[in-house]
Amino acid sequence: MSQDSYRPSFNLSRVDASVAQPVRLFFASAFLWLILASVLSVITAIQLKDVSFLGGCSLTTYGRLKALEGNLFAYGWVTNALFGLNLWLMSSLTRFEFKNAWLANVGGVVWNLTLTYGAIQIILGNMNGLSLLEMPKEVAVASFVGFLLAALWPAVAFSRRPTGHVYVSQWYILGSTFVFPIIFALTQLLVLWCPAQGVLQALVHSWFHQNFYLLWFASSAIAAVYYFIPKESGRTVSAYYLSTIGFWTFFLFASWTSPATLLGSPLPLWVQSTGVVAAILMLIPLVILAINFLGTLSWNRGISQSWNNTTLRFVLVAIFALILWGALFATFSTRGLNAVIRFTSFNTGLEHLLTYSFVSFVIFGATYFILPKVTGISWLSSKLVHLHFWSCAIGTVSLLIITLLGGWQQGSGLRADWPSVIFPSVLLLIGHIAFGINAFGMLTAKLSSGHESTHA
Amino acid sequence: MKNIKLIFAGVLFTLSASFIGILLSGRVQLGSLGRAPAEEGGPLFPLREPGLAIQGRQVYISLGCVACHTQQVRPASQGSDIAKGYGPRHSVARDYVLQSSVLLGSQRIGPDLANYGARVSSENEIHAHLRSPKAGSAMPSYDFLYTTGKDGAKVPTEKATALVAYLKSLKIDYSSPEAKLNQ
Repeated sequence: MSQDSYRPSFNLSRVDASVAQPVRLFFASAFLWLILASVLSVITAIQLKDVSFLGGCSLTTYGRLKALEGNLFAYGWVTNALFGLNLWLMSSLTRFEFKNAWLANVGGVVWNLTLTYGAIQIILGNMNGLSLLEMPKEVAVASFVGFLLAALWPAVAFSRRPTGHVYVSQWYILGSTFVFPIIFALTQLLVLWCPAQGVLQALVHSWFHQNFYLLWFASSAIAAVYYFIPKESGRTVSAYYLSTIGFWTFFLFASWTSPATLLGSPLPLWVQSTGVVAAILMLIPLVILAINFLGTLSWNRGISQSWNNTTLRFVLVAIFALILWGALFATFSTRGLNAVIRFTSFNTGLEHLLTYSFVSFVIFGATYFILPKVTGISWLSSKLVHLHFWSCAIGTVSLLIITLLGGWQQGSGLRADWPSVIFPSVLLLIGHIAFGINAFGMLTAKLSSGHESTHA
Repeated sequence: MKNIKLIFAGVLFTLSASFIGILLSGRVQLGSLGRAPAEEGGPLFPLREPGLAIQGRQVYISLGCVACHTQQVRPASQGSDIAKGYGPRHSVARDYVLQSSVLLGSQRIGPDLANYGARVSSENEIHAHLRSPKAGSAMPSYDFLYTTGKDGAKVPTEKATALVAYLKSLKIDYSSPEAKLNQ
């Protein structure tokens, strides 16, 4: 791996210093939630094989812990990390110096306190029955305010940017930032506050789920990939002219894919069919992304060079994960194949492929680039970086193999039980702990520069 | 694309398109769906849930049962749910019109429960299963929902009673205009 990351302490640039506080807050919160979610992931994996594990108590039923794990992963880890990532990326691309970054800090505090409250309510059983909407509805209002305070700063930076040039990363960041509050508010309204009738609730929920994963998670991660590939490889993006088509088709088709996750449900057939068509059309933006990303890295031994760079190594794995996800999602959205894998662990694998193998790996790679820039401290241990990468890479690949193949076997009637994911879950936990030790070592170390206080 | 208003308008358009195309159009078709008789002049289905079952639904949600169980039987062309005995017919949108919160579920770590109430013979059978599931079952014991009476026998708490009433109420053993039992 590149030794660039392990450089000695240095002063922060004025732009980095202006967003350093909130970015550190978002990242620190994200790392804590990630480790907590990983512990829960190991516990729930054990519970699937040993049903008596932590049994005998309503607080630790599989359903509650699984719901908690999902919420901490999505709202705690990924969302906090994306707040920090999007903020840093946009300020870096626009060269905009924030004067009131403390407002983002307030947003971060509100978001995380709200999440803590919501998590406690889930453990106590005061929850709803739809995934990622389990937290009580009163939590949504505070979450919404927290999100606006924490996440809208990239839009401010863009509209007040001193430089005129606009990069494709900025489109994706702005798109994802606009999408979340809209889908969150509409879904809360139509599912929890004024519930739609009958199965329409499931349709609204799936609409939220797909938009949340694709247009908030994936869109933000794509923005980061568009930034880090040219930045770290020193190459210009191949077929850059296609990126506009890629952006608009991604946003247009992703939003229609939700019914593809409800095939065979009691919804009208035409609704389900629109989802299938959209899932296949999603291949258009994904092919464009593949051309842009792999086209840039593939010539002149670019991939092997990327492998020697910490950030690009994570990003490279993430790109392959995104392509694989697109291919599998489109293929298994066809009715015949979907009938086999529906309700099996295959869907768990697909979700993991998108939210972890792609989005989380991009965040990891980005963190290795950004954290030194907002702390002024180098990464403490290259061994921990290696441990993090290999543990998470082996963990995610083995989890994918187990859940995807296991799901296919379940659907084909070749096995009856749910595949065990204890081994990959433990590997991921080890990787996250290694990552956390390294990251918190930097975050807690005294800043080498006093530069920051004048601009934060 | 340098104008933030253009990007915002474009993103809003893409979201609106799917919102109108899927959700609002779906509502136009399903929003006025109500109960219907299996045959002309017969009782309306689905039946209204007893009050205890409505409470039991909250217990079901609160314990996170939806993480492992679905409540939807797919058509024969879209899976083997009917062949597996999950229900005598596939689920239709009308089956859910009275449900305040629809719990279709997405994973089957345990069996589908859309017609569970018709598969079990009595509420006692459900109580027995909740207290001590059969060996090899993927379900843990929910013994904590029971207390021990003076005579040493297990007594269901209010939550257990409500949950069992809810599970017993889960039935699609009636014909619907969209899916007849004999098809």
